[in-house]
Amino acid sequence: MPEGDGFLIIFQVFSFPGFVNRFIMHEIRIAEDLSAIVLQAARKENLIRVTKVNISFGQLVQIVPDIFEFAFREIVRDTIACKAVVVIEIVPVKMECNSCGSDFNLTENYFACNVCGSTDLNIIHGKELFIKSIEGE
Amino acid sequence: MEIKIMKNILDRNQNKANEVRTLLASKKVLMVNIISSPGAGKTTLLEQTLGEIGQKFRAGVIEGDITTDRDAQRLKKYNIPIVVINTEGGCHLDSHSISKVLDSFNLDDLDVLFVENVGNLICPSQFDLGETFKLAVVSTTEGDDKPGKYPMLFREAKAVILNKIDLIPYTNFSYDNFKTDLRKINAQIPLFEISCTRGDGMEGWYEWISGQIKTFKLQ
Repeated sequence: MPEGDGFLIIFQVFSFPGFVNRFIMHEIRIAEDLSAIVLQAARKENLIRVTKVNISFGQLVQIVPDIFEFAFREIVRDTIACKAVVVIEIVPVKMECNSCGSDFNLTENYFACNVCGSTDLNIIHGKELFIKSIEGE
Repeated sequence: MEIKIMKNILDRNQNKANEVRTLLASKKVLMVNIISSPGAGKTTLLEQTLGEIGQKFRAGVIEGDITTDRDAQRLKKYNIPIVVINTEGGCHLDSHSISKVLDSFNLDDLDVLFVENVGNLICPSQFDLGETFKLAVVSTTEGDDKPGKYPMLFREAKAVILNKIDLIPYTNFSYDNFKTDLRKINAQIPLFEISCTRGDGMEGWYEWISGQIKTFKLQ
């Protein structure tokens, strides 16, 4: 550790122009990012209203759907997406075994291959925070 | 009409995290994203770790703190670069804030950057900061059920620290329950059972983190 290289700098969120809302509860932050994507896509396609937003959440993602939907609804309240129905598909956790090659759905918090018992696994599905499509007119 | 979009909702965060990761890899700086509940002992762990490995490696710290700079004040004595990000009530850091404060460091003079995330086991797990790996810290006083309740963190972390093992006699913490749950979620993950205040088990942790920093330098 070289002598004299220390310093201490303090950033408030206000030090980040445009980032003031970045640190809020994750459901709200994810709803904000979603609304930005939805509105941008709707503008690009010249929609006058968005009627449906189709998204998928992996089962491993710890999101409370009610809070998420409430946040989304508040954020889009004064936009063309204010009446959009949010359809959330929950994606089960699917694993792939690196030892025997089989894939299987995880039904409890036990990350082991249900064919050969190996714990050398990849998560194929279950971490999604994904927007599939929007519908509108 | 239906418009296909098919993208990750957190694309903006992910893209910035990828940029941070590429930058740090080019500078050979290992970044550790430390995630725990409030009071698990992240700052004490950092104090001890900086005191020990600060002689061998050039370290920096990013402190995610909701409103104060108290954690950072505790680390000032190590004479290292520290940047505090006050989240003003927010429960996690994200890659844009990390990217922004990286400008304050001279990355050519760093081997390792510890990011002390905001104390929380859920939100920080969702946001990739561009770290080399996540480190999960839990303490015995929180109970033995944390791995089962927060599988995502224990699945994604590269190592787990179980702190405050000196307090087990005063709690109903079951070491067997903890370990069984953890192994079900992540059979291979290294587990360091330590007491930051009494010093138990710290050698194994120092050796492991030093090895990670050295290996990253050589990549």
